[in-house]
Amino acid sequence: MYLQLAIRNLRRVKVRSALAMLGIIIGVTAVSSIGIFGENLKRVVLENFQDMVNEVIILPSTTNGYDSIDEKTLSKIGKSIYISELIPVKSKTAKIEGEKSTYAIVYGLNERDVEELFKAEKGKISLKRKCVVGNTLAKRLDIRVGDRLRIGNKEYKVSAILEREGARFDINPNNAVIVSLQEFSDNFNLEYSMLIVKVKNVDEIENFKKFVERSVNYKVKKVEVFELKSIIERINRAFNQVNLFLMAIAAVSLLVAGVSILNIMLMSTIERTKEIGVMRAIGAFRESILKIFLLESLILGISGSVIGGILSLGGGYLITSLIIHRSGDILNLSSLLYMAEGMFFGTLTSLISGLYPAYRASKLEPIEALRYE
Amino acid sequence: MKAKAYEIVRLKNVTKVYKIGYYEVVALNDVSLEIKDGEFIAVMGPSGSGKSTLLNIIGCLDKPTSGEVFINGVSTKKLSEKKLTELRRDTIGFVFQQYNLIPTLTARENIELPMIFKGMDERERENRVREILEMLTLENLADRKPMELSGGQQQKVAIARALANEPKILLCDEPTGNLDSRSGHEIMETIKMLNREEGMTVILVTHDESLKKYAERVIRLRDGRIVDVSSTGN
Ligand SMILES: Nc1ncnc2c1ncn2[C@@H]1O[C@H](COP(=O)(O)OP(=O)(O)OP(=O)(O)O)[C@@H](O)[C@H]1O
Ligand SMILES: [Mg+2]
Repeated sequence: MYLQLAIRNLRRVKVRSALAMLGIIIGVTAVSSIGIFGENLKRVVLENFQDMVNEVIILPSTTNGYDSIDEKTLSKIGKSIYISELIPVKSKTAKIEGEKSTYAIVYGLNERDVEELFKAEKGKISLKRKCVVGNTLAKRLDIRVGDRLRIGNKEYKVSAILEREGARFDINPNNAVIVSLQEFSDNFNLEYSMLIVKVKNVDEIENFKKFVERSVNYKVKKVEVFELKSIIERINRAFNQVNLFLMAIAAVSLLVAGVSILNIMLMSTIERTKEIGVMRAIGAFRESILKIFLLESLILGISGSVIGGILSLGGGYLITSLIIHRSGDILNLSSLLYMAEGMFFGTLTSLISGLYPAYRASKLEPIEALRYE
Repeated sequence: MKAKAYEIVRLKNVTKVYKIGYYEVVALNDVSLEIKDGEFIAVMGPSGSGKSTLLNIIGCLDKPTSGEVFINGVSTKKLSEKKLTELRRDTIGFVFQQYNLIPTLTARENIELPMIFKGMDERERENRVREILEMLTLENLADRKPMELSGGQQQKVAIARALANEPKILLCDEPTGNLDSRSGHEIMETIKMLNREEGMTVILVTHDESLKKYAERVIRLRDGRIVDVSSTGN
C-alpha cells in the first residue's frame, strides 16, 4: 500500500518524475558503460601478455657491480627443477652496416629459441653464419633477405626478416638484429645480459626465486629476478585505477541526478504539506511519512538504475567496439559486475537524496501542516 | 439517562497563546470543560473566537500553552509524539471543512488508510471498509477518486475515513461549511446517526445556528473564553 501510494504520487507529477529518473538513467549508463569499456580494454591489452605470466627474467644486479651473467650462473639456474625453458640472451648496441648503416641492438640467441619466440615474415630463420633482422629496422635500412650486413668485424647474410612484434618486456626484436650466441661471443666476447626463464607452473615462481637466492645469490646478490606476473599485475592495477578515475568522472552525472531528485522531492514535500498534515492527523507516525517519501525517491532510483544498467550494456558494447574495434564478449562476468556497480550507486544516490526531504516531511508538525494552503 | 456516563474529554484551565513576532494572540483563555461519553456538543462563536483551536487541542493535534487535557481520563500532557499519534489514530476521528481526502487514493483506499497506519491485515481491513461503506451507503462510490466526487460525497467519504478505527470521539470542524443546504443536511443526519446509533461522542464546530438542533449542549466562545453553555433539551 505504501508502495502503491508512492507510485501514484510519482505518477501525479509524471514529467517531473520522468526527468529525475532520466538523470539517474544517464548517470548509471555513463558510469557502467565506462566501467565496462575499461574492463574490456584491459582484457584486450592483458590478453597479449597472457602467455607471459609464467615468464621470469633474470638480469645482472647492476647495483652490486655486475653487468653480465656468467656461464656458471647459467648452468646453475639451468639445473632448477622448476623451469621448463631457459633462454640465454646476449645483447649489445653495435653499428650495423649494409647499404645504409645505423646503430641498433644486436642480440645473441640460440636458433631454436628464435624460432620459438618469433616468426619470419620473409625468408627462413637460420643463424648459421647468418642473421635475422627485425621488421622496423629492415624497413628503415631497406634490408632484404639475402642482403649482407656487417656487424662488428664480421659479415652476415640476412636469412629472414621477422614479423612485427607487439610490446614485450624481455626482447624487442623490431629494431634489432639477431645472431647466434656463438657468433655473438666471437664478435664481442661478452657474457649473458639476460636469462629468460619459463617456469613449469605459475605457482612455482616463488619457489624458483628462492632457488635462485640459494644457489646464485647466497654470497652476493649477483642477479635480480623479475617475474612478468607481477608486472602484469601492476598493469592490471594501473588499469583499474584509471578505470576508477574515469568512472568517478562519470559519477558526476549521478551527483547531478541526485541533486535533481533532492530538488523534486523537496518540491513534493512542500506541495504536499497539507496531505502530510492530514495523514498525521488520522494516525500516521513520523516513520510512515518518512517511509512514503523515501520509497518515492527509491522507486525513481531503482527503476532508473535498472533501465540505465540495461542501457549500459549497449553503451559499453558501443564504446568498446568504436574505440578498440573489438567488442567480443561484452556479456562477461566483470561487465555485469560493473553494471551492477552502476546500478548500486544509482540506487544509493536516490536513497541519499531522498533522505533529507523525507526527514523534513516527517518532522512537520501536524497542526501547521494542516493549516498550510 | 446519560448522566452516569463517564467524562471522555476534560479540559482543565486550558490556555493557548500564539506568538506572531512580538504580538501574542490568546486563542483560548482559561477554558475548562467536561464532555461526557456519547454527548453531542456544538461549539459556536464568531470567527476568531478559538473554536478550531479548541477542537485541535481536544484532538491532540495541538498542545495547550498551559492547562491540561484528559482524554478517557488520561492526561495528554506527558504523552510522547508517538503515543499522541496512536491516540489520534485509535480514539479520535477528524472531519474537516475542506474534506482533506488524499487525492491519489480512491474513496475505499482513503477509508483504509487509518487502518493501514494501525497495522490491520488486509482481510480485516476489507471487512471493516465494507461495513463502513454500507453504513454510510457509499458502496457505489467506493472506487472513485476524490476528484470524481461531489463536495457532499467527499465529506461523506471523509466521515467514513474518520470511522475507520472505530473512534470514540468525532471532531467536526464546520463539516457543512462548504456544502449546499441539502448536502449539509445529509451530512448532519449522518453525524447524528453515528451519535445516536453508534454512541459516538461528537464535537461539532459551526457557525450555523440552525445546526443547534442536533446538539444536546451548545458551548459559545468569544475571545477564547466560554461565555455560555446551554442545554437544548435534546
Ligand atoms: N497558527 C496560528 N498562529 C497565530 N495565530 C493563530 C494561529 N491559529 C489561530 N490563531 C489565532 O487564534 C485565534 C483563534 O483562531 P481559531 O482558528 O481557533 O478561530 P475560529 O473560531 O476557528 O475562527 P473561524 O470561525 O474563522 O474558523 C484567532 O485570532 C487566530 O488568528
Ligand atoms: Mg475555525
